[in-house]
Amino acid sequence: MPDRYPGYDVLAKRHTPSWNETTRRVIDQRLAIPREPRFFTEDEWLTLNAVCDRIVPQPASRPPIPVVAMVDDKMIHNKTDGYRNAKLPKMQDAWRRGLRALDEAARTRHGGRFHTISATEQDSLLAKMQRGELDNVAWGDMPCKLFFGERLTHDIVAAYYSHPTSWNEIGFGGPASPRGYVRMGFDRHDPWEPAEAGRHAG
Amino acid sequence: MGQTRNSELGALELGALGLGALGLGALGLVALGVLGALAARGPRASGSNARAATSTPRPAASSWPGLSLPSTHGRSCVDGRVKPGHDGGTPSVKAARRLNTAAGLLATSVLADSAVEHYRGSFNNRAMYTPLVTAALTLAISGHGVGDKRPGAHILRDITYLLAGLTGLAGTGFHFYNVGKRPGGFSWLNLFYGSPLGAPFALLLSGVLGFTAERVRENKPGVTPRIFGLPAGRAMAALTALGMLGTVGEAGLLHFRGAYQNPAMFLPITVPPIASGLLANVAMGSRDTNRWFTRWWLRLTALLGLAGVGFHTYGVSRAMGGWRNWSQNVLDGPPLPAPPSFTGLALAGLAALGLLRDHPDA
Repeated sequence: MPDRYPGYDVLAKRHTPSWNETTRRVIDQRLAIPREPRFFTEDEWLTLNAVCDRIVPQPASRPPIPVVAMVDDKMIHNKTDGYRNAKLPKMQDAWRRGLRALDEAARTRHGGRFHTISATEQDSLLAKMQRGELDNVAWGDMPCKLFFGERLTHDIVAAYYSHPTSWNEIGFGGPASPRGYVRMGFDRHDPWEPAEAGRHAG
Repeated sequence: MGQTRNSELGALELGALGLGALGLGALGLVALGVLGALAARGPRASGSNARAATSTPRPAASSWPGLSLPSTHGRSCVDGRVKPGHDGGTPSVKAARRLNTAAGLLATSVLADSAVEHYRGSFNNRAMYTPLVTAALTLAISGHGVGDKRPGAHILRDITYLLAGLTGLAGTGFHFYNVGKRPGGFSWLNLFYGSPLGAPFALLLSGVLGFTAERVRENKPGVTPRIFGLPAGRAMAALTALGMLGTVGEAGLLHFRGAYQNPAMFLPITVPPIASGLLANVAMGSRDTNRWFTRWWLRLTALLGLAGVGFHTYGVSRAMGGWRNWSQNVLDGPPLPAPPSFTGLALAGLAALGLLRDHPDA
């Protein structure tokens, strides 16, 4: 993957006016999330791990973002979004049921647990889930299409992009607190924002 | 460990910024003083009888009407009987030098304000360097004027002040264009957050005040000073009254944007308008009125302009991160160099009053 923001490390802002004590504490907590299942069972953890590898594949050139652990952290503390589609069960229940149902679909259609089947087979299952074509009994009354769009990808992608490593990749400045943005116009940026490679200044 | 390093950094940055702010404030005064002194000594020292001219003990120049009470003690009120080079020159020259001071102060305000705001705008347009150059030149030439006690206009001062005035006009045009081309045109949003329409007006005022200083200085000793055929004192008062109103408009708009969240934000839309009204009365009112109230009200306005820097400093400290987050808050917060515009205008008003005291018909 080409480095669009060469040399940019958002963590280098730690001791600049961009961050204060609260910012440091929040980021430290996020980086210290234990990389082991606390909410999910071992089985669910393995399945979710395989799902994350397909939704947000990561380069081997850097330490991976612990996406599964971050989703697990969201579950163990039940950090809901504050809203949900009424056709979906509550967040924690939806995840448990969804992962079990996906594993069940892998066994019936491909003869193995989700994390053991090939990447192509995994993709085909996820695509079916996205189109609403998985209807094995474990789904119950939960529409797999809704689970895919409003729970699975929502939580995985949010976890991925809440990690400083992904901020370095996309040139995101990190928490705008206490120091935020001054130059708000199109194509303008503040001196404390990262510069994109190959772009002319201005 | 981390915390120590952090607070050290904060103190360092704060210190650097404090020095910078002090430097900006001192810049104008020092430049006016030093350049003035140089200009005053330069021409005389070059002459063969320089010694004779400079050996006369000079009384302290009272070119700061806000700081020293004008005194008629020990000298005549009539131009013809006052020897140039003594006590700040003839009444016309004295008034001109006070106008130079006012123009210089306005230029200082513009220099610092446009530097900060155009840096914020990343100098996106090359033209955004113009006010920095022009305001710096105007400041320097105003220092020259303050120190120059000879009657008669100076060609370089005239050119510089004209340049400042033209830059102010062009800047106003640019800023109107910038606001107009934004989606929504001249909406409240764009008036608030687009280029400030009133800001280049201060440079225009600086140029006009300076140019007026030269016209006042041109008057021959012994005659009642006039500008373009108008009585000079009244013309200066009228001009200052109008300039004050324009500046009040700018402060009013931006303080409205700030929702007058601090009661002190009402001060610049209450004190200077009264000063403006009083000056309008000076321009059009009767000849023999005692203007003591106007004089003190203008001093109050001058003080308010300086106090405004203090209020704005407090405003910056109130934003998230305070002064430690200066790189955002100085740019996003209340503009530190803007309020002294009122001081500059108040000094111009006092210059008009001073001239009228010496020449009741002016």
